Amino acid sequence: MKRKRTVIIGIDGVPFSLMKNLSDDGTMDNFASLVDQGSFVPMRSSIPEISNVSWSSVITGKNPGEHGVYGFTELIPGTYSIMFPDFRALKSGTFWQENPEKKYVVINLPSTYPAGEINGVLISGFVSPDLNRAVYPESLLVELQKLNYRIDVDSEKAHRSYKLFLDELFEVLEIRRKTYRYLWDYKWDLFFFVITGSDRLEHFLWNAYEDESSEYHEKFIDYFRKIDEIIGEIVKKTSEDDQIILLSDHGMEGIRYNVNLNTYLSETGFLNADNNPEKRYRNIKKGTKAFVLDPGRVYLNRTGKYPNGTVTEEREEDVIDDLISCFKDLKKDGENVFRKIYRKKEIYHGKFLNNAPDLVLMPNKGYNLRGGIGKKDIFTRDIFEGKHTYEDAFLYVRNGDIPENVSVEDIRKIIGY
Amino acid sequence: MDLHNKNKTCWNCPAAIFKGNVDFRGCGQSRRIVPKGNEKHIVIECARRPELGHFEPSITFEECPEWIPMKYGYMLRDMRVMILGIDGYLGWTLALKLGKLGFKVSGIDNYTRRNCVMEKGSHTVVPIKRMTERLRAAKEVLGIEINFRRMDIRDREKLREFMEEVKPEAIVHYAEIPAAPYSMVDAEHAIYVQNNNVLGTLGLLWVMKDVVPSSSLLKLGTMGEYGSPLTGRPLFEGMFPADAVLQWDNREWSMGGELTPRDPQSFYHVSKVQDTYNIYESCKYWWLRSYDIMQGVIYGVHTDEVAADERLRTRFDYDEWFGTVINRFVTQAVAGIPLTVYGEGEQIRGMIALEDAMECMVRLIVSPPEPGQYDVVNQVSGVHKIKDIAETVAKVGKEKFGIDVKIQRLENPRVEAERHPLEVVSKKLPNEFGFRPKVPLEKEVERMFDLLTKEEIKKRIMEKIHVIMPVTRWTGEKKKSEVLEIYTPGTKKDEGYKGRLDT
Repeated sequence: MKRKRTVIIGIDGVPFSLMKNLSDDGTMDNFASLVDQGSFVPMRSSIPEISNVSWSSVITGKNPGEHGVYGFTELIPGTYSIMFPDFRALKSGTFWQENPEKKYVVINLPSTYPAGEINGVLISGFVSPDLNRAVYPESLLVELQKLNYRIDVDSEKAHRSYKLFLDELFEVLEIRRKTYRYLWDYKWDLFFFVITGSDRLEHFLWNAYEDESSEYHEKFIDYFRKIDEIIGEIVKKTSEDDQIILLSDHGMEGIRYNVNLNTYLSETGFLNADNNPEKRYRNIKKGTKAFVLDPGRVYLNRTGKYPNGTVTEEREEDVIDDLISCFKDLKKDGENVFRKIYRKKEIYHGKFLNNAPDLVLMPNKGYNLRGGIGKKDIFTRDIFEGKHTYEDAFLYVRNGDIPENVSVEDIRKIIGY
Repeated sequence: MDLHNKNKTCWNCPAAIFKGNVDFRGCGQSRRIVPKGNEKHIVIECARRPELGHFEPSITFEECPEWIPMKYGYMLRDMRVMILGIDGYLGWTLALKLGKLGFKVSGIDNYTRRNCVMEKGSHTVVPIKRMTERLRAAKEVLGIEINFRRMDIRDREKLREFMEEVKPEAIVHYAEIPAAPYSMVDAEHAIYVQNNNVLGTLGLLWVMKDVVPSSSLLKLGTMGEYGSPLTGRPLFEGMFPADAVLQWDNREWSMGGELTPRDPQSFYHVSKVQDTYNIYESCKYWWLRSYDIMQGVIYGVHTDEVAADERLRTRFDYDEWFGTVINRFVTQAVAGIPLTVYGEGEQIRGMIALEDAMECMVRLIVSPPEPGQYDVVNQVSGVHKIKDIAETVAKVGKEKFGIDVKIQRLENPRVEAERHPLEVVSKKLPNEFGFRPKVPLEKEVERMFDLLTKEEIKKRIMEKIHVIMPVTRWTGEKKKSEVLEIYTPGTKKDEGYKGRLDT
């Protein structure tokens, strides 16, 4: 009997609305015809709606309290030094680790660096500082080098020239296509292919998507046309029985304002810090009650946990209450900045709550929450045009059931292992 | 506990594996490129804490659980230190001290020192055991395992293999022939010394670059690299301080950060100066990191570890080639030979006792430079005039041991200033590394008498008594120095320049 196979195509950072619009208007024809054969719905991302948290939930089926990853950055225990949690920080098993009898091809999956053992092939996606350690098995490296394989686009280029940046996005997407083609003929039960340039494109050029008169609008749309081509090509290679899943890890929307939360905490007396940009969170001084890590993770500056810890165990609840009422007060042009403020226990469960933020702030539309220390103003703008959203990631499934109110943690259930 | 290296960070730690987005180079000095904006980070991985993944290199030694507090600062747990020249006077002493503190000690030696001393017809007056016995005793008495390999530092293939096996996190380089008179014996000797020292060090640098580029190199230089300038210009620590200015022709230039002039005093000293430049360059080209240690004239016999058992004693030379001045004076006193002062005896030198020098080394090892950083420390605990030292030795000998000894002035076999000012700057060890000298000259001299007056050692002194009087002249002649004057200690007026130590 033929084994049921699963193909997953991840498109990083693409909102349901964008996929819907572009499939409705004929830009993404291949996807549109796929929609006729399955279910296509909005999906909840992780909290916070950050790629490495979300993809970690996808591959483990767990919430951050269980898999231990809460953001792109963490502070190293006992210090204010920033670390970037990667696959080594993941505390739960992934579907390929827990089902080693199946065979896998996984390409460009974020947050899986350094690439560890898998029954098949794994090429880690961002953040992967060293390609040599982003590939399993190592023998595959030679072929990838021939393809001039790249883990990520060089976003630095966007700061210099959008043209250079766009050229690079297309180039890397083409390399990614060649890579999947090369690996398609491997033996596998599950083929997981992720496109990540979409997230980069949207961060820098979201306005070009929304504004049809933008000089980059056509290029933006072209990029998704090309993604659709790849989708069509892959679907054609599958059989009718194969399960097909398309998904994003979070949505995206335009930025109205960056909200520099530590500046706000500083102004309201919760944060006492110097202003040396090189020192980042090491600017934090005694007397600080709380600080924020990207995007809206609020941590109490606990005694015993941080070098300049200030908040004792008895005072924790009071400080949290004070923080909540302080954040509720933050308004811009008469409008509340936050639509929800979660306490740790409301959203996380599991063994690894130690690193969990004490509060997570969820913004109203267009407010891009930021950590970082030393910004002068609370509300600022910069080169970035798009920001992540929680509710409108997307999910498409052919040959599988989608649970109600689906979130990234449900993907393993849909795959069935 | 407030330890000197508590604020050092991953930048200094040999376990840090630096990733992209980093450029340390800036004319040989380390430099931190601060990325613009908050989005970019210089990141590292930690060889010892791989579970941290990538992170900013800002954890302080005080914060890091891999750095544990001890007497001389935070030390990297089980830090791997390789001592090149581990069989020597300093190498063996340091190996025991580090081992006792919990460092993982390895080392190489090809017994050059034993052979050179034997070749000159002398021997160490404090008897030392064969290496296998030394290692066994270290294990038995102190519980220390030392990973020893017999090899010539110039055998790069062997050295590379050993480095690959051990992956030292710090390398102490004592594998040089440390003898000015020995380098002046004849062409053979001069070439041998420079070959061993200069090429040994140069080869080492290439091996380090390939195998352990983040290990720090603690290289023994000598105060003799600077010479003793007649102008009295202070002997800064390797580089001019930031506010130093050169004036000429009604114009002026900042000298801050430039290497100070070197004025070596023998072909041996020249080899040390050449090393300095080779190391300086390698820090610039390859981001190696090094402390070049300008050690004053070393003397003494004591550390707690070498004194713990007879089999653990370090060597002690008294011949004209390898004996250092204070060690020679004490031996001469015990042998009843008037103390041999060269020329006027107004020469002033920076000095340091063995025990203090070893403490400095530990403090430097646990506080490594940053990548690309070449730094110089003047390792000196006191500045003394040779004549005065003879007086001190004679006084301690008389008062504590009933030894009556005279002082003799000899024709100076060396080409050197016999009367000169000397101002030594030694600010870094006390101010940056928390070093306070603990061993006064008199105390160590007394310890030396204590040991050398033991019957069996006195006997060894007398066995090779002929090696005491100098016959190696800087002119190339082989001729005994004539006695210019013999006098009783305490009868000379204090005159001439006074040395000065800036700490």
